[in-house]
Amino acid sequence: MKYSKALEKTTSLVIALILIIAIIAVAWFAMRPAAPPPTTTVVEKVYIRFAGWSAGETEMKNYEKIIKMFEEKYPDIAVKYEVITQMFHENILASFGAGVAPDVFYLDSAWAPIFTEKGALYPVSDIVSQDFINQFYDFLLEPFRGPDGKIYGLPKDWSMLMLFYNKKLFEQAGLTKPPDTWEELEEYAKIIADKTGKPGLAIYLGGFNRYMPVALSYGAPKPWFDDPGDASWFDDPAVEKTMEWYINLYLKGKIEREKQGLTPYVVSPQDVGAGWLGDAFGKQEVAMVISGNWMIPFLADQFPDFKFGEDWDIAPVPRGPEKRVTMAYTVALAINAKTENPDAAAKFVEFILGPEGQKELVVKMGHTLPSIKGLENDPNMWPQHKKSLSFKYDIVQIFLWGPKSGELEGKISDIMASAMREEISIDEALNAMKQTVEEMFRGG
Amino acid sequence: MSKSHLFLSQKMKSLLEKRKSREALEALILISVVTCLNMVFGYFAAAFAFYLSFFKWDYIGPMEFVGLKNFMVIFKDLWRGISGAYFFQAPFYTGLKNILLYTAIVVPTQTILAMILAAFANQKIKGVQFYKVSYFLPAVTSPVIIALIFIWLFMKQGYINYMLQFVAPGFAPDWINDKSYLLYAIALVAIWGTSGHFMVSFLAAMQSIPRDIYEAAMLEGAGPIRRFIYITVPMLKPMIVYVVVLGLIGALQMFDLAWVMAGSNGGPGGAGYTMALDIYNEAFINLRPGVAAAKSIFLFALIFSVTYVFQKKYKVMVR
Repeated sequence: MKYSKALEKTTSLVIALILIIAIIAVAWFAMRPAAPPPTTTVVEKVYIRFAGWSAGETEMKNYEKIIKMFEEKYPDIAVKYEVITQMFHENILASFGAGVAPDVFYLDSAWAPIFTEKGALYPVSDIVSQDFINQFYDFLLEPFRGPDGKIYGLPKDWSMLMLFYNKKLFEQAGLTKPPDTWEELEEYAKIIADKTGKPGLAIYLGGFNRYMPVALSYGAPKPWFDDPGDASWFDDPAVEKTMEWYINLYLKGKIEREKQGLTPYVVSPQDVGAGWLGDAFGKQEVAMVISGNWMIPFLADQFPDFKFGEDWDIAPVPRGPEKRVTMAYTVALAINAKTENPDAAAKFVEFILGPEGQKELVVKMGHTLPSIKGLENDPNMWPQHKKSLSFKYDIVQIFLWGPKSGELEGKISDIMASAMREEISIDEALNAMKQTVEEMFRGG
Repeated sequence: MSKSHLFLSQKMKSLLEKRKSREALEALILISVVTCLNMVFGYFAAAFAFYLSFFKWDYIGPMEFVGLKNFMVIFKDLWRGISGAYFFQAPFYTGLKNILLYTAIVVPTQTILAMILAAFANQKIKGVQFYKVSYFLPAVTSPVIIALIFIWLFMKQGYINYMLQFVAPGFAPDWINDKSYLLYAIALVAIWGTSGHFMVSFLAAMQSIPRDIYEAAMLEGAGPIRRFIYITVPMLKPMIVYVVVLGLIGALQMFDLAWVMAGSNGGPGGAGYTMALDIYNEAFINLRPGVAAAKSIFLFALIFSVTYVFQKKYKVMVR
């Protein structure tokens, strides 16, 4: 009896000690700055940490494969691949705050100015040859150019908006070609709704970046907001006119039509029980959507029976009276300004973004478009992507509205959505947008 | 008492003390583990948030002391909201207004419902174990999963509207996309998710109510409803206070359901926007962690004062 009690006591003491040791060990491991270089090897190995999000298991595996190839080519460099699945930029920012940011990481164009302005990024153009940089499409480098003219990130891939249309629904409605102008887009949507009973077009409620091609194609000035005075962009007649048209698409196409007891010709994905535009289009609930290259692998994967060429096709984004404009979205690889191994990080970036890396990670994957020139005719390029690259545009507008792109996009989109739901008038919406920009930059 | 006896009892006493001190040591070691964790992830984080609320910071650069400027942002927002600005121009006010309404719906309903469920589960009827398990099941399911399931149920052509047509023909709101219904839909999910959890607390308290009180009441001719109102409810008072306090704390800082069901911008008309969502947006979309910290302190003060006043008013020892 005594013995068992003593045993009990000892056990509880041992458990407590183990717990304490475990916590100290975990804390020690967690607080360690980085893996220390092994002392036993003759060649001193350099470690770099690389963080990205993941577009699925295939992408992760491809990255692991290419990292292995890199490590074989450069045996003195080891890469630790860290996948941050959610809230990527928030995580990266927090890791900067904590002083444990990775050496190389993804950087979305909309977030680039925040990092560049704060001096968080290493100027890639200082360490990578000009010849290497010249391979990239010039317009894709713009968001990553700092105020000093140096380049702080190299695009890893990109996507652009295009018109996706359902050929079968077009046929049923007696339409023979995709719409070429914004007026035609609305007109065709109406014809399809009347003839097939399916809404012609799906758009997001809000979505400032989806509206932008309309504004620019009507001659609106290039958007850039970093000063209270920039709110005057919303006073431009082209902006006023197109914003009214865009909001009215939903007001007239959905709300009014339903009041009249007719099939709406414009809907939001949620209106047809879909999560997003790709889902609504793949389910064949709508005949047209304007979306990006990311929709192509989604359709191939989720709707294998809905075939490109036979059932659906792509066309350029409709044009306005002045120009034809599309939006481009790009993500770069950036190097941490505080990295201890800028040379190793640069070698890694060059390997991933060079022709070999992009062939493997971008072209074969078929998720997005390669950011360097010369891969347009690669035999592995998906035909849909190839076709999207053949469209001619007067302006390819990068998703970047200034140093506070993310916040601005969210707030303006909320106001647009509010007007589309008839909560506020279009005039009130335009005033609120101006006020938002003024306030955002007045306080500094 | 003989000498040897005295000696023995003294020895026993010292042994007992020794054992006690040893036990205390063990307890201290075990408690210290949790305390350490709590210090780092609880108190340190809270203290840092308090410190941060007086600074302007962008995560990357150095912090800049701004005094009470971050709190001024809150009061400006509240003032603007009171003066009738649109929801997107006074997000914090919108969040506050919504969360107060949400709390006013959720806390009383979930408490009453939990009590009724517990009363049923406390009966000696066949298959009571099945009911207990099914009531408790939502409590062990992730709120995000629950929210996702309910989004489907709440769709315009969803199951809830299908069932409603038998009860209230013609009433088929678009729960998630209509600003007049969104908050109620979220509240309904919350009530469904938490009532089962609090039912267990009530059940435990009910089982400790002495049977003879009920027997006496039955002899006097009190029916089951009277017994519930005049015996069960008053005897449960300490547990009710406990459940309401926990409910208030949970409801006022609700984030997960709103995030999934309404989205980070609060959905149509900002109807599903909460204070916790606004704190998140301030920290990671607007990149103003200082303002986010100030807003968190406001939320803390609100939760603290509401629960303090409630506990003070219903002065009872919480078990």
